[in-house]
Amino acid sequence: MIELLAQTFVGPLRETYFQKALIGGSVAAIVCSVVGCLVILRRMAFLGDALSHAMIAGVAGGYLFMKLLFQVEAHAPAMLLGSLIAAIVTVASIGFVSRASRVKDDTAIGIMYTGVFAAGVVLVSIFRSYIHIDLMHFIMGDVLGVADHDLWVAAIAACTVLSVIILFFRSFQLTSFDPVMAASIGMPVVLIDYALTTCVSLVVVSAVSMVGVILVVGLLITPAATAYLLSDRLERMMLLSAVFGVTSVVGGLYLCVWLDSAGGGAIMLFCTFQFLVVLMVAPQYGVLARWFRLRRMVPQEVMEDVLGALARGGGKPLDAAAMASFAGTRPERLVRAVKSMAREGLLQEERGGYILTANGEREANRILRAHRLWETYLQHVGAPAAELHPRAHTLEHVHDKASVDYLDDLLGHPTIDPHGRLIPENHVECRPGNVCSLSLLREGKAGVVESVALEAGGPDLKPGERISMGPRTNGGTVWTVIREDGSVINLDHHTADAIKARVVEDSDSAQRS
Amino acid sequence: MVTDMPNPSVPAIEVMNLTVSFGPRPALLDVSTTIDQGLLVGVIGPNGAGKSTLIKAILGFVKPDFGSVKILGSPADKAKGSVAYVPQRGAVDWDYPITVEEVAMMGRYGHVPWWRDPGPQDRAHVNQALEMVRMNEFRDRQIGQLSGGQQQRVFMARALAQGADVLLLDEPFSGVDAATERAILDVLNRAKDGGRTLVVVHHDLATAAEYFDRLLLIKQRLYAYGPPQAVLNPALLSEVYEGALRIFSALPVEKGPR
Repeated sequence: MIELLAQTFVGPLRETYFQKALIGGSVAAIVCSVVGCLVILRRMAFLGDALSHAMIAGVAGGYLFMKLLFQVEAHAPAMLLGSLIAAIVTVASIGFVSRASRVKDDTAIGIMYTGVFAAGVVLVSIFRSYIHIDLMHFIMGDVLGVADHDLWVAAIAACTVLSVIILFFRSFQLTSFDPVMAASIGMPVVLIDYALTTCVSLVVVSAVSMVGVILVVGLLITPAATAYLLSDRLERMMLLSAVFGVTSVVGGLYLCVWLDSAGGGAIMLFCTFQFLVVLMVAPQYGVLARWFRLRRMVPQEVMEDVLGALARGGGKPLDAAAMASFAGTRPERLVRAVKSMAREGLLQEERGGYILTANGEREANRILRAHRLWETYLQHVGAPAAELHPRAHTLEHVHDKASVDYLDDLLGHPTIDPHGRLIPENHVECRPGNVCSLSLLREGKAGVVESVALEAGGPDLKPGERISMGPRTNGGTVWTVIREDGSVINLDHHTADAIKARVVEDSDSAQRS
Repeated sequence: MVTDMPNPSVPAIEVMNLTVSFGPRPALLDVSTTIDQGLLVGVIGPNGAGKSTLIKAILGFVKPDFGSVKILGSPADKAKGSVAYVPQRGAVDWDYPITVEEVAMMGRYGHVPWWRDPGPQDRAHVNQALEMVRMNEFRDRQIGQLSGGQQQRVFMARALAQGADVLLLDEPFSGVDAATERAILDVLNRAKDGGRTLVVVHHDLATAAEYFDRLLLIKQRLYAYGPPQAVLNPALLSEVYEGALRIFSALPVEKGPR
């Protein structure tokens, strides 16, 4: 067993070609992935593709130059330089086309890189008797046939690019996030742009010999995108991206040895697989996490329906099935709502059902108040009687304090709804110790007058005077106030609104301040 | 000019007890107002006050929780043809290969069946609309080659070509200079004189009184609707804008030595 494992995993490691592929691939992958983060944040993925294709022309150009002038075959530095020149020419011409005409960026990229790529293909095919390079080698790559000079190229490119990125990290970060601001503080935005494109060209050049022209863009963006799903900071994204780059190379190489497949293909296949796994399971931005979040989320409306059902049930414990008949939602949604509300301390279990806690009751009263005020409002604006309840049932979910208080005031602070049921009072402001206007106080409440914001001619109530509220008369439009000497003052809505009192516990414990 | 003018006694827009919510906090609460025909109305209010929700409700794009909107006496969702909307300038791709005339002709698309070409009548409408916004001489220009104010006018021409009697404009004055503002205002007034009713979302309180016949001040609720002098009263404005208004601090104040 152990022997089998050793054979499967350690066996390939003993082979030189595998070691070279592993080292070269990892180095290229690390630097690709790090630069890739900037590439995907700037939405330049297509540009990566363009550069990798364009460099075919550069390779051919470099090869021919050395061959024809110096009779040197496949001079690596010249080919590398050629690729870089081709890449830079491509970028410059893309910039020129999109600046000089109305053609949009993505189209300009598409035009120029296919043009340069085509020039490369034509060049190679014309001079096919001179050029002994295999185009397929560039298009598909050959990670298992990595030569020593490829390793050197990869290592040098990696060192250069990583140093540039680390040294100028802040510049890259700012220009990719907010180029206008970067320019305004004097950053050479265009120069940084070119630096980034040069970096991309370098890493593409170093990776092409391993994974090929077509797949290199995947190595550039897929690990970066994988990391993007997992992190909210650029540094961490780059770090993670590098890790994913290396794991793709390692995983891909084993895959390629076991399946005896093409190296570049195996690496990118593994890389894509890795991305899909992360896409599913990422804790915040993953598909599963999103799905769970949506499932767990209990709609506010259902919670409010539960509260309403319990409040109307009059203190009897209700189970989910009984609530469902009140609330008109699917039972399983209701069960979830009930559970999450019990967790939040709005409900508690009792005798096989649920009752409201003190918090729950306050919340329920708030919603009941909204519902009954909406019903009163609907009657007030002349909605047909049969519509009152169902309409109010949807409108009760509009229950922010300002809106409900507005309705209350508009309707003259009614105490009963159209069906003759009591409208719960304003619990926030009418709580003992708070100051509220007399219009909000119901019969039996007591308070100490705080302020009288009325011009001349109002009732002679003075701040500090202790009062209690009598019944509402004249169809609810007149407030009666009982003074300490037993005399009664009548107030209209406007006056009652203008007088503020500090609510006291009950009529006996009140004290003059 | 405008064929079969509606009965002038019917209000252009009638909003009744309109409540629109996206959650517990309503975007509009119990808004009722009646806008008569032939008026240039400015809608003012702070950010997030529900100005564009009101416009969308009048267009019939959002479904109200309660209440109704009537356009020239018929419910908003059945009055699609009689309301036209002019979008904010930022929402348009100005490089799109299309000329001024073609944009204005888009206003007729709702009237032309797909199997027919626009007829002489449609072209007459377009000509009239371009004439009204004074863009006739630019009719063959591509829209990106116009100044900001001209671009705004092209889209007004499109709205006019729709043959709608009620025009809703979302901040036509944003991001244009003073001279352009004048030109746009001129077009608004010409459209008004042609019998249209215009409702314009506006940000600048300083010019509101001068530009509009009526102002509509909202913040969730309707705070005021009426002539500018009545609406722009400091107590009301500082209630709606929560006191943070520069215009009033610009009023002459006694300055003591420091």
